[in-house]
Amino acid sequence: MKRQKIKTAPAIITPSPGDTSFPEFTRLSNGVPVYLLGNGAVDLLRIEFVFNAGQLVEPVHLAASATNAMLTEGTTLHDAQSINDLIDSTGAVFNHTADKDSAGLVTVTLTRKLEEVMALAEEVLFHPSFPEKEFRMLTDKRLQAFMTGRQKTSVIARELFYQALCGVNNPYGRITAADDYKALAVADLNAFHSLHYRTDNMYITVAGRRPEQALPVLERRFAGPGTGKWHKPLIPALNFDTAGPGSIFREMDNSVQSTVRMGWRGITRDNPDYQGLQVATMILGGYFGSRLMRNIREEKGYTYGIHAVAGAFHGIGYIAIMTDVANEYRTETIKEIRMEIEKLRLEEVGVEEMTLVRNHLMGELARMFDGPFACAEAIRGIIDYDASPDYYTRFAETVRTITPGKIKELVSTYFNMDDAYEIIVGAR
Amino acid sequence: MFILVSLKYFTFMIRFERHTLGNGLRVISHMDESTPMVTSNLLYDAGSRDEDPDATGFAHLFEHLMFEGTANIPLFDTPVMMAGGENNAFTNNDLTNYYITLPYNNLETAFWLDSDRMTGLDLSDGRVVTQKSVVTEEFRQRYLNQPYGDILLLLRPLAYKVHPYRWPAIGLDISHIEKADSTSLRRFYQRYYNPANAILSVAGNVRPDDVFRLADKWFGTIAAGDRNVRILPVEPPQDGHREITVHRPVPAAHLIMAFHSGIRNSREFYVLDLLTDILAGCDSGRFPEQLVRNRELFSEADIYLSGEIDPGLVIFSGRLKEGVDIMKAEAAVTDELSRLAASPVTPAELDKARNRYESHRLMSYLSAANKAFSLAFHELLGDAEGINSETEQYMSVTVDEIMKASSLVFRPENCSVIHYLPEQK
Repeated sequence: MKRQKIKTAPAIITPSPGDTSFPEFTRLSNGVPVYLLGNGAVDLLRIEFVFNAGQLVEPVHLAASATNAMLTEGTTLHDAQSINDLIDSTGAVFNHTADKDSAGLVTVTLTRKLEEVMALAEEVLFHPSFPEKEFRMLTDKRLQAFMTGRQKTSVIARELFYQALCGVNNPYGRITAADDYKALAVADLNAFHSLHYRTDNMYITVAGRRPEQALPVLERRFAGPGTGKWHKPLIPALNFDTAGPGSIFREMDNSVQSTVRMGWRGITRDNPDYQGLQVATMILGGYFGSRLMRNIREEKGYTYGIHAVAGAFHGIGYIAIMTDVANEYRTETIKEIRMEIEKLRLEEVGVEEMTLVRNHLMGELARMFDGPFACAEAIRGIIDYDASPDYYTRFAETVRTITPGKIKELVSTYFNMDDAYEIIVGAR
Repeated sequence: MFILVSLKYFTFMIRFERHTLGNGLRVISHMDESTPMVTSNLLYDAGSRDEDPDATGFAHLFEHLMFEGTANIPLFDTPVMMAGGENNAFTNNDLTNYYITLPYNNLETAFWLDSDRMTGLDLSDGRVVTQKSVVTEEFRQRYLNQPYGDILLLLRPLAYKVHPYRWPAIGLDISHIEKADSTSLRRFYQRYYNPANAILSVAGNVRPDDVFRLADKWFGTIAAGDRNVRILPVEPPQDGHREITVHRPVPAAHLIMAFHSGIRNSREFYVLDLLTDILAGCDSGRFPEQLVRNRELFSEADIYLSGEIDPGLVIFSGRLKEGVDIMKAEAAVTDELSRLAASPVTPAELDKARNRYESHRLMSYLSAANKAFSLAFHELLGDAEGINSETEQYMSVTVDEIMKASSLVFRPENCSVIHYLPEQK
């Protein structure tokens, strides 16, 4: 019928991680760090401004994300409609970024529009006017999105998990309520902006073809008279007291699936085991052929996907496993997750699986550093957490050399199932 | 004027070469020396429009089965990962597309895998049963367990009465997936998964000569099969305004208005695509300005083309602000659309849309995977060169054309409306 003659499989060449070295680095005359990522294939520049202006430093809940979202809603020179019209007319894309640990703006522009676009970037970053009407509209919109999120099992489960893991006394564990949106005022945004959107508090990445051509305009726009002298970002001390491990069930009537999220405290990037733990978690649930995907999806068909990650904020790390499963499979799913972890604790990973994971991670590194735009995203992880510049080069080395014995040891040390938080959100 | 525009916009071309194997497999190769990777993209000319109305969701279920291994290669993903690659696929109404991105020196591994599963797929009952269950959970996770997730499930049968676009690629109903059996899956495989019915497109750091040589080595001996010549029922012109109202557990009302338009391979497509960008492609567009900022009827108001190959839809999609009457909101959208005749698109609006097109085109071509798919898709439409020539299509759109197309499309009797309302508390 449809068969063809079997041919010998082609030899696979062991993937190499590509150039994971840290990029060229310079400073504006006021000390603002600028990272340059070159070798772009097209005439576009991606210029990103990052401020230590995330949730971590917000005195009032939601101030960080609202301030960031309002940057393009009117400036001292232009109202909301005009400033957006000016930005869009250049063809540039302005993407707001507001995370737990930082906030800022990504601009992507045609190289020939660089001057215009940087003028607009300066205007929105440093001269927003936070008009009342736009603020009210934005608040309504954010509140609506928040209320929509309340209907999603995955959103509720994630929130409950971080609350259980980090405790309620810090921004990572804080739970948002509808009232928080109503309590926020323009004055909070003005205060937050003047404190955190400053040149002494930011860095810039420039990626694309010949990124150095942006330096003169950056110098003019962001290092002129009156701009502050750069200093290292200040990270506040945090309190991570929690109620301790346990199970939490949250009922959601109409849901046809349950979200299962379990996890426990992990380690931060400064711990020498951090990179090895990334590899161990990858084996458990970090790729399509992982232990959990094979078991829960490919063998049992309980879910469309199941994932495990090891991550870290400032001062706290975590390991988390999450999946959406049919309500009737959730207990069985948790049992199977625990069993897969137990297997990793007791038995060394075989040579074949180790090679698979090593090669896969090498391929991932190669993709992470494929082209200047990708590199610009990859290095943010290093800069934001003050990791050493050779972080990814060391990671490649860890991937190449880590032994099955070490993986087993890491699982025994860091997969503390007695300390696990188990969150289920779904129908009763 | 037009010549100047051309010079300005035609500087970035995607160069590629084409070669058709003896068995009809169309092969396209684009070399990009700036990346250490390569994407091998294999497109099959089979989508959910090729399904039996009683067995919808079949093409997509089949896509899942393509990852289930063969007698030669029992675990598909293992060699991909050994080669440092990543792979995925998607199914839409028109086509099914598979791609593998991996280090350039492992391209042959991708060809080995994709040629192997073009002939020797394991369609045993066990594999089928598990993937039916996975797809059922996908249906639940993405369409049923998401607020507003079922809008497409409602829209398609409302807008189309005859053409198979009346069901979405996931299928009309979970029960169709549950009914799928391995005999009909085998028939589907025999009929569509053949060299003559596929396009292989490769973008990345490999020379076209090598791509063609390796393609011939791995795919050249597979029996040609038949090209999919489809005769689909033609959707008759809509004969009147259609409207449904549903109530769901959501916090805010949502309005959908869908208008029938033309085929993908037409001048009208580019005219309408540019128009929808002017209306709602960016924050300064007419809809965000009028419907969101000035009149405060919507918190979000978007309009876009569904983009199918057969006659598709122009879809308005807007989330209402609390307390706004949906009839009033709908009337405002209609006003905005009819305003296109009274206050036509301005040269400034057109210029903005062109600049945005240029930068977005460059951004999308930063990724070899995007280029590979785009080349294959244009070849399916008739000519891979479309990847370059469509720039001129966009750049040459005139205000007159926009007015003509919008008066043709935005008519009440050509419109299907969904009032998606919160349940009464």
